[in-house]
Amino acid sequence: MTKKKATEAPPKAPAKTDPRERLRRVLFLVPYAVRHPGIPVKELARKCGVSEAELLEDLDFLMGVGCPPFAPDDFLDLYVEGEKVYVALHQRFSRPPRFTESEAAALGAAAQALGGDGVSRVLETLRNCVPPDRRRSFDELVGRIYAGSPPVRDSVLGRLQRAIALRREVRLRYYTASRSVEGDRTVRPYTLAQRFGHWYLYGYDLAREKPLPFRLDRIRECSVSEARFEPPGEAQLSLARLFSEREPIRIRLGPRAAAWALSRPGVTLIERTPGRGSLVEVAGADEDWATRFALSFGGEAEVVGPPSARRHFVDGIRRSLAHYL
Amino acid sequence: MQKAERLLDLAAFLLRASEPVSWREIQEQFPSDYGGSEEAAVRKFERDKAELLELGIPVRFVSQDDDAGSGYLIDRDEFYLPNLELAPEDLALLYLAGSVALAQGAFPYARDLVHALNKLSFAARAAGASETAALAARHLSRGEESGAANGAAVKASTLEELSVGVTAKKRVHLVYEGAERGEKTERDVDPYGLYQSGGSWFLVGHCHLRGALRTFHLGRIAEAKVNTAAPRTPDFTVPRGFELREFATREPWEYTVHAPVRCTVRFDGPIAPEVRTSFGRRAVLREEAGSLWVELEATNAEALMRHVLSLGERAQIVAPRELREKAKSILALLLRRCG
Repeated sequence: MTKKKATEAPPKAPAKTDPRERLRRVLFLVPYAVRHPGIPVKELARKCGVSEAELLEDLDFLMGVGCPPFAPDDFLDLYVEGEKVYVALHQRFSRPPRFTESEAAALGAAAQALGGDGVSRVLETLRNCVPPDRRRSFDELVGRIYAGSPPVRDSVLGRLQRAIALRREVRLRYYTASRSVEGDRTVRPYTLAQRFGHWYLYGYDLAREKPLPFRLDRIRECSVSEARFEPPGEAQLSLARLFSEREPIRIRLGPRAAAWALSRPGVTLIERTPGRGSLVEVAGADEDWATRFALSFGGEAEVVGPPSARRHFVDGIRRSLAHYL
Repeated sequence: MQKAERLLDLAAFLLRASEPVSWREIQEQFPSDYGGSEEAAVRKFERDKAELLELGIPVRFVSQDDDAGSGYLIDRDEFYLPNLELAPEDLALLYLAGSVALAQGAFPYARDLVHALNKLSFAARAAGASETAALAARHLSRGEESGAANGAAVKASTLEELSVGVTAKKRVHLVYEGAERGEKTERDVDPYGLYQSGGSWFLVGHCHLRGALRTFHLGRIAEAKVNTAAPRTPDFTVPRGFELREFATREPWEYTVHAPVRCTVRFDGPIAPEVRTSFGRRAVLREEAGSLWVELEATNAEALMRHVLSLGERAQIVAPRELREKAKSILALLLRRCG
């Protein structure tokens, strides 16, 4: 029997997406839909990182997939009913394939950059989830990406990761830079985030009664308590990276410094004057960070606004200069 | 039949088979795909097999004593993603590291990372960690979209292109804007690895223009194009003994610009922990009468001076004298300009 569509053929949509990406996506989509019968189209699309229209195109594509001898029951059969996706026949695509070496290596490189007690364990597990033939390439590839040095001792991170996973409060020995003192904080650890190249714990500070970011490299000690907390809501987590709601800080940079600054995450170009440099804006930064950032370009950058940030910058220079006089 | 469809059909066919399937039978079941001359059909099938493997689907040839039993199969144990037996904190490590990496907006193999996190959610459920991380990742990536207009999207696609070159060991053609003179040069580079330092990504590789190992700042790569000829044949081998870590953990003042110079930096008053670690593993730190003294060797003293300036008002360069004078004149100039 030659292959034909199991049901009426949908009109062929132009394949806008890369066919390889589509294959990778459907190899996840089918088993995921098998595991979650009646999953809403919208949710499945979001999970697969595509629009609803693209997901429906994927489902159409899958209608034509099957195995010889291509009898009606030899085809994949996924259908939508009342905006929900069901799988009638999965043709053994009931679990996703193992990690490819680049998937496992990307995840492994990210884990190595964060650090923690479990790094070697997770690397070993990732390796075992790559097809045996590809494990050597995985080993090699892991050594070809270095996403950064861990921000704090493995033991401290290990405990934080445990507390985030189990939703337990932590007690931190923390250095507060604005007051130059080390003190104890009790925090409900929500998640970790990165801002301007630094790692932070984002969590609810019990004494201050609000969620705050804590730089990981300023945490000296961490202990996990028995006290549990309710998981944070979406709205709460959405603030994890927006550390300051103050007005963005503006910095003027010389041409050479501008190129470097703009390659950093979070720096936005406002205006470029040929030969004279650029004006950039940084949202969510505090004044102290902005002063240090500008000074890291030697004499080629200055904080121009808002006025309080400018004052902070000028005062900082004045005090630094005093050491040299 | 379209290739994507054929590959899935073939995978479904081999997954269903309980015995190895002979080449003859595969040809019979896919007559329009593996028809034509035998040589062309075999090569097409080999390409398909390679593509399936790149998707994580290993097709194996099993040879039996009698030819009748020999053939191709997909070993289900080798195919299906197993359950990940990891403790909650280890899963949290994977979820948090993966989602934060994605939220950065530019990470090598970013697309692979998305697939990896999806597969992880299938193979291991950690109530707290996975949901928290997934939620955070969604919000974080939304937050980064504003940055996309600012060249971050370009950076992400460059990084993706370079990642392909690193994995497949294919040469890349770069248009690069030099840091000092700002002129654009074109060159071929054998990409050995990618590293991140201070929030920026760098490529390390053998530069054919300079005939030596070079580091390239991603923000200065205007264009990157992987050699598309013979995609499954490597263009180079990475030399034995090459350690990406050595490049990645090099401090900016350790880049070779001039002969080594002994430098001394002094801090007064309370010092944040990250300041101590910011000088790297090779610096010698000692405390004396309430001050912290840092001794190190620099081959790019200018970079050290910038670092010290960025550490704020408690830091000062003590030696060498010329560097101290330079820091002083920069601060004085800035004050005149701003004051």
